[in-house]
Amino acid sequence: MSEYWLLIVSAVFVNNIVLARYLGNCPFLGVSTRMDTATGMGMAVIFVTTLATAITWFVRKSLLEPMGLEYLQTIAFILVIATLVQLVEMFLQKSIPALYRALGIFLPLITTNCAVLGTAVLAVENEDFNFMEGLVFAFASGVGFSLALVLLTGIRERCAVAPIPKHLQGMPVGLATAGLLALAFLGFIGMVH
Amino acid sequence: MLSAILAIGGLGLFAGIGLAVASKVFYVYVDPKIVAVEEALPGANCGGCGFPGCSGAAEAIAMGKADPTICVGGGPDTHAAVAAILGIEVKEVEPEIARPGCYYGPQEADLKYVYDGLNDCRAAMLLNGGAKLCPVGCLGLGSCVKACPFGALSMGDDGLPVVNASLCTGCGTCERVCPKHIITLTSNSRRVTQEYTLDQCSAPCQRTCPAGIDIPAYIDAAGRGDYLEAVRIIKEKNPFPLVCGRICVHPCENECRRNLLDEPVAINPIKRFVADYEMKSGSRIPIEKAPATGKRVAVIGGGAEGLTTAFFLARLGHEPTVVEGKSHLGGLLRTIIPDARLPKDVLDWEIQGILEAGVTAQTNKKLGRDVSIQGLLDDGYDAVFVATGGWDSQMTDGLPTQPVQALPGVQLLVNLTFAHMAGNAPAVGGDAMIVGGGNASIDAALLLKELGAQHVHVVFRSPREEAPFKDEEIQAAEAQGVIFHFRSAITRMFGKGAELTHVEVASLENYVPGETLQQLHAKAALQQIPVQTLITGAGRFPELIYAPVYELRGEGDQQEAVRTDRWETVVPYAGPFAEEDVGIFRPGEATSDYKAVVEAIGAGRRGAISVHKRLLGEEVVAPPGMIRRTTTVLNVDRLEPLSPQPREKMPALSPAEQLANPKAEVELGFTEEQVRREAQRCLRCGLICYRRTVQEPESLAKSA
Repeated sequence: MSEYWLLIVSAVFVNNIVLARYLGNCPFLGVSTRMDTATGMGMAVIFVTTLATAITWFVRKSLLEPMGLEYLQTIAFILVIATLVQLVEMFLQKSIPALYRALGIFLPLITTNCAVLGTAVLAVENEDFNFMEGLVFAFASGVGFSLALVLLTGIRERCAVAPIPKHLQGMPVGLATAGLLALAFLGFIGMVH
Repeated sequence: MLSAILAIGGLGLFAGIGLAVASKVFYVYVDPKIVAVEEALPGANCGGCGFPGCSGAAEAIAMGKADPTICVGGGPDTHAAVAAILGIEVKEVEPEIARPGCYYGPQEADLKYVYDGLNDCRAAMLLNGGAKLCPVGCLGLGSCVKACPFGALSMGDDGLPVVNASLCTGCGTCERVCPKHIITLTSNSRRVTQEYTLDQCSAPCQRTCPAGIDIPAYIDAAGRGDYLEAVRIIKEKNPFPLVCGRICVHPCENECRRNLLDEPVAINPIKRFVADYEMKSGSRIPIEKAPATGKRVAVIGGGAEGLTTAFFLARLGHEPTVVEGKSHLGGLLRTIIPDARLPKDVLDWEIQGILEAGVTAQTNKKLGRDVSIQGLLDDGYDAVFVATGGWDSQMTDGLPTQPVQALPGVQLLVNLTFAHMAGNAPAVGGDAMIVGGGNASIDAALLLKELGAQHVHVVFRSPREEAPFKDEEIQAAEAQGVIFHFRSAITRMFGKGAELTHVEVASLENYVPGETLQQLHAKAALQQIPVQTLITGAGRFPELIYAPVYELRGEGDQQEAVRTDRWETVVPYAGPFAEEDVGIFRPGEATSDYKAVVEAIGAGRRGAISVHKRLLGEEVVAPPGMIRRTTTVLNVDRLEPLSPQPREKMPALSPAEQLANPKAEVELGFTEEQVRREAQRCLRCGLICYRRTVQEPESLAKSA
């Protein structure tokens, strides 16, 4: 059990998908101006990364590796993840309309997001992971993304009303904040070996 | 190689078939009405309705959550088609059209740097607000053109967007895309209710105009020979171009940028020429009006302000009725301006035009004698606007020494003391309050006590130390039961039927000029003081809106607003030139200080907007960011060398001719050639831009 906790802390804080690995910067900066959209996006990312990793695991282990086609991994993963997201969207619309409305427009937005693809690749390529560990890693990475997104949104919402010099308003101060946030997360390095 | 193609191909095939199957398995039933409505909508997904695309709008319309007219892109035909699907009636909406508000492209304007980045205004905006020195100037990269779902926009040769009016549907996509808010939707109502703000381009002259006329635009139109367009632009802010063209004190010309070079542009004579042109043509230009709201408003006073208020209320779709005490409309314009400056037939033609715009007038009906606020409200008027004008007291108006009770519970101090001296002062029952009494406040307070008032309150705008009394005098008055409210203002009056019941007094202790009543309210509690008699030291009544109070009755879904016989006053928002803008009976009076007719006209329009906001249930405050006289606005203090060109001289009667015919108008007005030459002198200023090349006046023969 403890290795799972270690995995979670590592993925959420130490090797945060955005702040330490610099993946998914586009939604990180793009959707971090309002808290309700940020949480919606965060939930959608957690959901899709976990599901995508589960599927891509089988694609790699039972299709690509036996056929020696590991070099086609990126193409195959994009194909699979895109299909998956579409499928999930249809399924939700039919079966869980409430969740569909909540995740709504964020699902198609993250279809080809590098945070999703990156998590899947990291989980699948890691020889030390078994299936369950890969899944937990993917889930925790999604949580890490949401945490970073929510933290940045909180700060940017305050920035929006703060007396910031005109030239720094908007994206410049957003980038500076993201950088400082990443620096702060550097402090977690060394917590988990 | 083959296995790779097969593997990925197979994966793709599998995914495709999977999705196809899923779309069948997870098929969601959609109301056919929604589908039909969506098909009737333009499908441009412009988002002008506020819903996420046409499908979102279709769902909302079909569910009855939105009106068929929310589709701004589709126009009346679409509304009718949608309404037909749903089997409901369609309400008329006011047409809107996009209009760019920047006049100098990147080639002509001053730049901070040369932008060589992504070809999109929003990207350029991130770099220190764009390349232009002007903070509100068009960046000229055409984000609006790319965004327009109807192809109504194109980029002109000067680097500014051009709107094709016949294709524009008023969806507002460009307005939402433009990072500088240069291109905005305009409708009759928006133009009529506009105030100049910091995030738009404005010239010094138009900011100085008390009425807020778009001066550069009408001079431009006059210069092109489109005189009726010039009249149309003027009448969006001022229904009296003939009158103002003759007697306006034109503060605009004092601020004209040409003063830095030679002489100001003859702004007012150009106005007079285009207005005369309309009058001489014998027909009037059509006045654009908003769809009828069915709301009736009574305007007390048929002078310049009352007529202006009524004119703009009519343009905003309401039904105004002017109530005038005298036999003729026109107020001071008719009584004190001599014929040699303003001939009566000119004034009559102008007033007739205002009436034809949808204003009803009742003359020989004096407030307090023939009509009362209560009576008008009982007649079903949705608001009563008081614009009783600049009389110094009711007595100077030839009334008997017994003051007429014009406004419920409100008396002029001069009338009260006058009546007291004549020995027929009325008994004062209940509680009384004195505002703006100055040095006379304490004497008046003691007089009110003598006349039978129970509690007497005195309201001062100044703090106790600055009051015009010794502290002992104040203490002595307090000992006799007078209650002082220093650094305070009256913000509202409340009443029931013909009675004043109480007034709202706000402490101005932490007041910052420019704040609204609501902002002040958040800082200091407003006191509600029972008062039945309010004495004002001012020589006139302020502009006030009397509006009925509605009460919510019933519960849940049956809850409805029921009109009661209680009323409250609403203060029109103060214009850009007001010293302080909270409270009534303030220095300089509510929205105008009546130094000139153009100020009364500005106040009248602001009064109409205030009534309009009240009728729509909006907060009656100045538009956010309105430029006030204390606001610092970007400007220039010198011009690049331009060749001086003397101002045209106004043709006038010689002194001998004036003596021979004292009733004849002295100033004769510009000729058409003079107007064309004078219009070319206009520098077409923006915030910091202006025309730097001298243009030769087009000869009349060429343009004719």
